Parts: sequence; structure tokens; C-alpha cells
Amino acid sequence: MLSLRGIDKSFGPVVALEGVDLDVHAHEVVALVGDNAAGKSTLAKVVAGVLSPDAGLIEMAGRPVTIGSAAQARALGIATVFQELALCDNLDVVQNLFLGQELRRGRGLDEEAMEDRAREILRDLTSRIPSVRTPLAVLSAGQRQTVAIARTLLGSPRVVVLDEPTASLSVAQTAEVLTHIESLRNLGHGVILISHNMGDVRAVADRIEVLRHGRNNGSFPAAAVSYEEVVAAITGASRPRAVAG
Amino acid sequence: MRRGNTTPGTPTSLREANRGRIVDAVKRFGGLTQVELAAATGLSTATVSTIVRELLDAGVVETHATSRSGRRAVKVTMARRLGLVAGVEVGPRALRVALGDLTLSVVADQTMPLPSDHRSDTTLDRAALLVVDLLDRVGAELDELLAIGLAMPGPVDSATGEVTVRGVLRGWDDLHVGQVLSKRLARPVHVDKDANLAALAEHDLGAAREHHDSVYVRVGHTTSAGLVLGDRLHRGYAGTAGEIGHVQVDPAGPVCRCGNRGCLDTVVGAQALLGSLRSSHGDLTLRDLIAHAGEGDPGCRRVVADAGRAVGEVVAGLVTVLNPQVVVVGGELARTGDVLLDPLRTAILTHAIPGRLAPVEVVPAALGDRAEVLGALALARQQTDVQHAHLLRHGHGDDALSGTGSGAGSGPRSGAGLGEGDDVGHPGTQRADGGAHESEAS
Ligand SMILES: Nc1ncnc2c1ncn2[C@@H]1O[C@H](COP(=O)(O)OP(=O)(O)O)[C@@H](O)[C@H]1O
Ligand SMILES: [Mg+2]
Ligand SMILES: [Zn+2]
Repeated sequence: MLSLRGIDKSFGPVVALEGVDLDVHAHEVVALVGDNAAGKSTLAKVVAGVLSPDAGLIEMAGRPVTIGSAAQARALGIATVFQELALCDNLDVVQNLFLGQELRRGRGLDEEAMEDRAREILRDLTSRIPSVRTPLAVLSAGQRQTVAIARTLLGSPRVVVLDEPTASLSVAQTAEVLTHIESLRNLGHGVILISHNMGDVRAVADRIEVLRHGRNNGSFPAAAVSYEEVVAAITGASRPRAVAG
Repeated sequence: MRRGNTTPGTPTSLREANRGRIVDAVKRFGGLTQVELAAATGLSTATVSTIVRELLDAGVVETHATSRSGRRAVKVTMARRLGLVAGVEVGPRALRVALGDLTLSVVADQTMPLPSDHRSDTTLDRAALLVVDLLDRVGAELDELLAIGLAMPGPVDSATGEVTVRGVLRGWDDLHVGQVLSKRLARPVHVDKDANLAALAEHDLGAAREHHDSVYVRVGHTTSAGLVLGDRLHRGYAGTAGEIGHVQVDPAGPVCRCGNRGCLDTVVGAQALLGSLRSSHGDLTLRDLIAHAGEGDPGCRRVVADAGRAVGEVVAGLVTVLNPQVVVVGGELARTGDVLLDPLRTAILTHAIPGRLAPVEVVPAALGDRAEVLGALALARQQTDVQHAHLLRHGHGDDALSGTGSGAGSGPRSGAGLGEGDDVGHPGTQRADGGAHESEAS
């Protein structure tokens, strides 16, 4: 569905991405793994339209596209949850979900419609947040991640990108977020899951793509690959088999 | 339900409906403050407060102080009658944890996807942490937890929880799973295989509720069965009763992980099914296979249907020997519905001894993928009942025990408790006394 080919991105002298390829299909969770500074977040930002690549080709559903801005990404059906969640503590769940994309009715806001939609999305995710009017400040880290994921679902996206969604979560919160990721796949979305927790990745991913120093360094079916094989690709102890495309 | 004999629209029926909404919300979220309850149900805080007071008086709910995520709050939870039990299911790709009270209610639950070949130490750590988190979610302390039932994906030695058929979970052989989890939580842990516990749950609460003799067939990553005979779980001398995955179906077939040759699992186990699709469909997971079969993919449907027939032929033998009233079909592949069930049923009816008086019924499981964890809760309750039988006869009406009592599975060898069980009898006993009055009003 979403296909990236030969993506380059440098920050001055720092080469963050070099000739990176990535594909995501509907009903699929692709994990993007790699050591710190491997270029994972940079790639997420390219997909999200926050950074524009220096070179490379992006296709959505077979058609070449340019993702020049976050709004364009959203219009193409790509939704991203960044590592820094960008939620407002003083606002409640509904307000956070609809921030910048409020539903209107006449000249005012359609609070009722927004609440209904918020409940519906949280239910689809089997979320445990009891009230959509809870201020974000009182939610746990796991529930905040849930709100951030729920927010991506508003525009009925085709691809959801999650950057380190389980970092700094407790086991129970991680369980919730991993369950949400399974829900996203069951709802038919393509998911790009960025993480360096190999257990979480192997639990929910269909495919694992390794980045190392800004380059592809291996692609594995998640059900068949061992923990050690992935780690070897991350550290560079193993090289990808020479397959082009 | 209770609403049946009141007229819709009258104040009474409205109050009943609002009560129902509040109870449903409390069950769904485990524990909620009154403000959260108002938001979750759309009722005013005044209405919530009135109804919560009524439910408290009736012993249906309780309030508990918690300090979840750093905040102090008073949460409304379902009444726990005498204490809580936990059910844990360790599966090949998921961990499921539920908390229940000594009635049949589940007060909180959580699932966690697991990687393939997950490690025993990490997974049991996670199980322990999830139990603690669920307790916290309903405002309970660890000492309110009377026992834990644990479902494992293979036959286990009931004394230690060791999986007795090798290779069921890679890296879990030789591990005394019950003792390991028991050390982590300092509570007694009772272990049995998933198919037995699912059979128990379907007998107590599900598709075999009306029957004394039932066979539960679990078709998933591997195939096994749980046998309930005369309302009791039949585990066999060493706990391997019902291991139909290791019935030989092809004397010249491939060698099975158990060491024998041509076992049913070498033909219908996940590896075999996915292997037969590899050249046509590429690398699939069991979940993909189930999804594609559901969407009508002919190759995937064919593979599931053939598996149904092969399983049915083996189950036919069981039906002839044991003469159950019902065969309940569950496990991951049962999610494909009739794709699996129809050929499985046909094979049973074709090959089992024809029962002219009452042919065996072959029905889908009623509890779906929650059967195992509900069975684990039932096992924990039973073992607690055994320990506290005298007390329960005393201070407690029969309602709280309906369906979990001395019925199915409480045979002498059924999930016999671990050594630690005796040590923790006392806290449970004290709580049982304290909680006894709550049952009167319910
Ligand atoms: N805005 C930026 N300006 C300069 N360098 C950056 C910027 N963003 C990322 N980098 C650099 O690009 C490399 C890849 O970073 P990043 O994509 O965040 O890695 P990861 O998410 O895999 O840890 C790092 O060397 C990082 O320092
Ligand atoms: Mg990053
Ligand atoms: Zn075998």
C-alpha cells in the first residue's frame, strides 16, 4: 500500500537515511527496528510529511506521491504518533482527539458528535478509558498512548506510524498498547511500528525491517525469526542477503 | 433478566435499567470512581450516587481506596465475596490474565500478545506483573488473592505444573511452572492444560452446561481434548488424557515432536497446515490462515476443512469409547466457524458408533477464546473451595457457589495444590469470615 524506495536524508554532514526501502500493506504490522540514531524516527518523519527526503520515491496504492506536509500525509491516509506525543495535559480526551480538526455544527462545535466518535474509536481499540471527558493530566502513560493512537484513527487512515509507543510503559500498559496494535491490524490498517524492544516487536509484527546506520540491514518474517537473528542484524554482526527489491 | 416483569417506562424499570448500566460499567472497567461512572454511563452524579448506595447496601458492589497512577481515589468495584482468584493462560502467542471473585464474575482481565518462542522467565514475570496490575485496577491487595489457576498449552504434572509432553513450548520443558509463578506472587498456583480448563469452563458456563458427559476438542496450534465424565474432569493417571494430537493417524507419517510417528498433530498442527500452503500462499501465520479462510480463500478453506475431517475421525473414536452427549469444538481454528465444524461433525457422525437413541451433538464452543482463562479461574475457585469448604458451608449461601462447587473436575488428582497452598490458608480464612455477611443481600 505504502512503498518507499531509495530514501536519502541528511542533516548537514549527518547522513540519517541512505537508500532506504520500506513497504507496508493493509492488515500488516511492519516493525522498524535498529539501534539509537539508526534513522528510525527520521524515516517516520519522512512518511509523516514532517521532513522531506533528499532523494527517493514514495508510492501510495501504486501511485507516486510527494508528502510535503503533515496535512498532505493525513490527506493521503497516513497518520503518525510521534515519540513525543504532543498531547495537551489541560484538555480532555475529546478535545485532544479533535485538536485542530474539530467537528462543527453551524458556528459552534458539535460536542455531541465528537463525544460519540471518541467513544466509538476508544471502543474499537478496546480501550479502558472510562470517560472521554477525562483531562489528559490524570491519565496514565499507557492511557495517553491510547489517546494518541485513537487520534490517528479519526481520519480513517490507511497507514498508522507509531514511534516507540511502548517506551517507558509498565507491563500492563504495554499489554494494552500491543492489544491496540493488533486491533489496528484487524481493522485493516497498515501499521509501521518503531521500537527497540524486541519482545514487543516479535509479539505483534508480521515483518521486521532492520535499519543500521541509516541503511536497510535485513528483513525478517516475525513469526519465524529468532531474537538472536534480529539482534545480529541490528548490531551489524549479520548482513542482509543480497536481494534487490 | 430481572427487568422481565416490570413495565418499560415506569420509574421502577428506569431505575432497574440505570442499575444495569452502572453494574455493566463497573464490570467492564474493573473499578471506577463515581465521577467516572457518571461519565461512562451518561447518568448524573446524583443518580450515580443514589444507585451506588443501593448497590452497596445490596452487597452487589464495594468501594475501595486506590492510589493508581499516583492519585488517591475511591473506586466502586464489584463485590468480591470472600476474596479473589486469578486465572492465567499462557499460550504460544498470547498471555491472558483474569481476576474473578468466588461467584462466577470476572472483575478484570487483560490480554498481552507474546512473541513466538517466548521465554519462560520473561513470560512468567509478565504474568505476575499483570496479576498485580489487575489487582491494583480493582483496588485490591495481593493478600486478597486466594489462588491462581494457570492454563498451559499441554498436559502438566498437577503437583509441579511441569509440562509432561516435551516440545509443547520451546524452552519450557523441565520447568516447574506452577512453583515458579507461585514464588513470584507468594500465592498457591494450580496448573492444568488449556483443553482441560476450557472443557471445565464450557461444562460450567458454556455449551456443555446441560450435560454430564462432554468432550471439548481444542483445535489450535496443536490439537487436544478435555474430557468431562459424570460432571468431573477426567485427567487420567498422569494428566495426558485427551491428548488426541498424539493419536497415530499415519503409521508411515513424519516423526512427531513427542517421538512417535504420524500423530494427528503432524497432519493438522499449525506447522503442517501452514506448510501445505507454503508453495501456493507463501509464509502465512495461523492467524492469516484463519482470516483468509473466513474471507473465502479456497486454498485456506480446503486446508481447514481437511483438518476438520482428520480431527473428526480421531474424535469419532473417543465418542465411540466414551459416549459423551456433546462434543464442543473450540481453539483458534474454530474461529473459522462451519469451515472447520461441518467436516468435523460429518466425520464424527460417519465414524462413531451410530447412536440410534441419542446421536452425539457437535457444537461450537460458547466461550470462544476466553474458555481457557475462565477455566483457570474455575480451577482456582475449586481448589479454594476444597481448602475452605467448611467455611463456605457456614457463612455462605449456595448462590455464590452455583456451578463452581464440588462438580466438575474436583477429583482427587485434579490440579492438586502446591505445597505453598497450605501456608496461605489463613489469610484467606480470615477474609472469608469478614466477607460472609456480604452474600446475604445479593
Ligand atoms: N533535526 C535533526 N537535525 C540534525 N540531526 C538530526 C536531526 N534529526 C535526527 N538527526 C540525526 O539523524 C540520525 C538519526 O536519528 P533518528 O532518526 O532520530 O534515529 P532513531 O530514531 O533511530 O534513534 C542521528 O544521528 C540524529 O542525531
Ligand atoms: Mg527515535
Ligand atoms: Zn505425537
